[in-house]
Amino acid sequence: MTELRELARKLLSDGQVKVVIGYEEGPRGVRPLFATDGAAADRLIFDERCVQNLATYLDRRRVHVARLGKPAIVAKPCDVKAVAGLLRETQLKREDVVIIGVRCGGVLADPKSLQRLGPDTMADRCRTCETREPGLVDYLVGPMPEAVRGQSGRDAKIAELDAMTPEERWSFWQKELSRCTRCQACRQVCPLCYCDRCMADKTEPQWIESSPHPRGILAWHLIRAIHLAGRCVDCGECERACPVSIPLGLITRKVAQVVAQRFQHHPTDDPSVPSPIGTWRSDDPQEFIL
Amino acid sequence: MEKGNFEPRITAFVCNWCTYTGADLAGTSRLQMAPNIRIVRLPCTGRIDPVFVIKAFERGADGVIVSGCHPADCHYTAGNYHARRRFAILRELLIFMGVDPRRMTFSWVSASEGAKWRDVVNETVERVRACGPFEGWRSLGGGLT
Amino acid sequence: MDAMTISRADLLGLAEDLLGSGIRVVGPAKASRGMVEYRAVAAASELALEGPELPARSLKEFYLPPTEPLFAWKSLAGGKVELMEARMAPPPTVVIGARPCDAAGVEVLDKVMGWDYRDEPYFARREATTIVSIACAGIDSSCFCTSVGLGPDATRGSDLLLVPIEGGYRAEVLTEKGARLVSGHQGRFRPDSGAAQAQEFKQKARAKVAAHAPPDARPLRSWLETHFDHPLWAEVALRCHGCGACAAVCPTCHCFDIVDEPEGVTTGVRRRNWDTCQTARFTVHASGHNPRSDQNSRIRQRVMHKFMIYPKRFNEILCTGCGRCVRACPGGMDLLEVISRVSALAGGAG
Repeated sequence: MTELRELARKLLSDGQVKVVIGYEEGPRGVRPLFATDGAAADRLIFDERCVQNLATYLDRRRVHVARLGKPAIVAKPCDVKAVAGLLRETQLKREDVVIIGVRCGGVLADPKSLQRLGPDTMADRCRTCETREPGLVDYLVGPMPEAVRGQSGRDAKIAELDAMTPEERWSFWQKELSRCTRCQACRQVCPLCYCDRCMADKTEPQWIESSPHPRGILAWHLIRAIHLAGRCVDCGECERACPVSIPLGLITRKVAQVVAQRFQHHPTDDPSVPSPIGTWRSDDPQEFIL
Repeated sequence: MEKGNFEPRITAFVCNWCTYTGADLAGTSRLQMAPNIRIVRLPCTGRIDPVFVIKAFERGADGVIVSGCHPADCHYTAGNYHARRRFAILRELLIFMGVDPRRMTFSWVSASEGAKWRDVVNETVERVRACGPFEGWRSLGGGLT
Repeated sequence: MDAMTISRADLLGLAEDLLGSGIRVVGPAKASRGMVEYRAVAAASELALEGPELPARSLKEFYLPPTEPLFAWKSLAGGKVELMEARMAPPPTVVIGARPCDAAGVEVLDKVMGWDYRDEPYFARREATTIVSIACAGIDSSCFCTSVGLGPDATRGSDLLLVPIEGGYRAEVLTEKGARLVSGHQGRFRPDSGAAQAQEFKQKARAKVAAHAPPDARPLRSWLETHFDHPLWAEVALRCHGCGACAAVCPTCHCFDIVDEPEGVTTGVRRRNWDTCQTARFTVHASGHNPRSDQNSRIRQRVMHKFMIYPKRFNEILCTGCGRCVRACPGGMDLLEVISRVSALAGGAG
């Protein structure tokens, strides 16, 4: 922690950045911190409760954050992949952000619980994560953590769903999605959902209805999954943000599996690796095409 | 769900240069084809937004066809390559969310392949007929309820 | 005020009786992934009345649904349009196991819903619904009902308040509807007892919430009226994603959007859908101008509406201190902290 705080203090006092976006202990748990001076920098922490993906705050359209000035961001390996995504898609210039990578051994599924980090208590995405140390960084802090691994509960659930009949899957998803009220928290917290005019907000013409009835709800979740295909870094924020616990991580994970299997693409923190959606190969699999 | 005795409604999104022309050829050659498809012509399969397929099912299609030029033959050079990736993903996503894979057909049909278009259409109609009407999607939400 | 007692078994029995006579029973019930939600149950065994978890959303959706058809239209020849109003026939409903903060939220909403015109769909559901609340033991450190003039034992909005005692509950009959429910199901209720136990439960619960709750939010109104441009808003808003999860789970947020949805070429439905002032688009004008174009102004709006504007108009705080916004917020926004900060600023300024 001292390493991180000292680095933050230095970056701020040198004038290299105007704000360090990191994590702090709030009155009711860990929350994002926007440290603009040394005193605030001393509140920075990093531990297994730091689940938030702070890359969302780098979108220049968040004018209330952007106007603070050039940011440094405390980023776990998955968060760095999101930053790389923003760089890849020219939403951010490399020189406009300082990346403080933190070595990460995983975060808790429930950061408010007082559990120790272990295969059963860690977030599902962490159980199979191979990246404990982010590559795209300006600074790298934190001790190298022990490798804690587990079985992906999502992969098991996806396999279970894949084995069902189409009607059974349809029922499953209609039931899970029925709680959705189109609050759009899933979209707002996602670092890669940065469009000024989301397709779901367009009304002339309207392709995606805004109403939270089953028809509008299905269209929304489908289009979001499609638009994030190959771009989602599996940070888990969408599922965490959903106030009614819709298992969005199953959808994102399934699409990621398809993209990995067909196009050999995995979320990466290398912005020079092109997106699998804007690109193609002449020998892409086409077994489903007559 | 009554299967087997209904006339499915199929929406076909096809590219102008290859499949649409191939479909024309099927017509002028007087090939016998099931009449169940409604064709939406686009310049290229690369223009076909996945939302079109979603909308078709949402608004009453029992099945959907997406068809365009063979790889290397795209009038716009690479549109069909982009489409190939995009629809690979859409197809798997829709199947995952509970759409019967038999309701979706993806094909490469060139301007000279009138006979192939006839086969794609006839085969799709029979396949979708066996699935029965896709009430599940079009009966979601909306209306005065 | 009349009081009776009802055993745990009889309460579930009451639910079964109601279901048996065709009445819709709504209550907290387990949903997938360990969450609890208010929903219409098919059997009393589905009710999760003992659980410490607060249902993910409030009772609001049973009065103001997330989406609601208003009327349908059909375009006819000659430019005429046929309109068909949505039928308002809400099913008779009894809520069993409401939290006092959620019952109070409904009563708070009555003011705006009956203000400049009477919201018929809302009040039709109000009239058709009886609320049986269970006094809360206090949930966690995000609760602050005691700071908004309520408490874990609040009676506002409830027709019957059940306070846990040994073996069941002491039932406080609060309204005509509550009395009718009791008299219609006499067999389930026993004479009053356990008053001291009930009182002890309430006091303990109150103390638990008050121990961490911020100061009373009611006096903050005057500071809010005069500090529109305070730097507090810029600071508080930084974490906010403008996601609207807070509005979705809130018992008192009620903003809605009206949309017209075509069904066919000549037919369609006009609907009312939940909306939230926290999204950027909420205040976009047709000209493109947006008077609340950053999150600072949107967060300020939220706090002002709840703790100053609504109180000015209706003498009610538009908040029941349930704490859901704090628990649901992915950005760590904390209304208890905001209240404390404003309270300190207001106190300091004198």
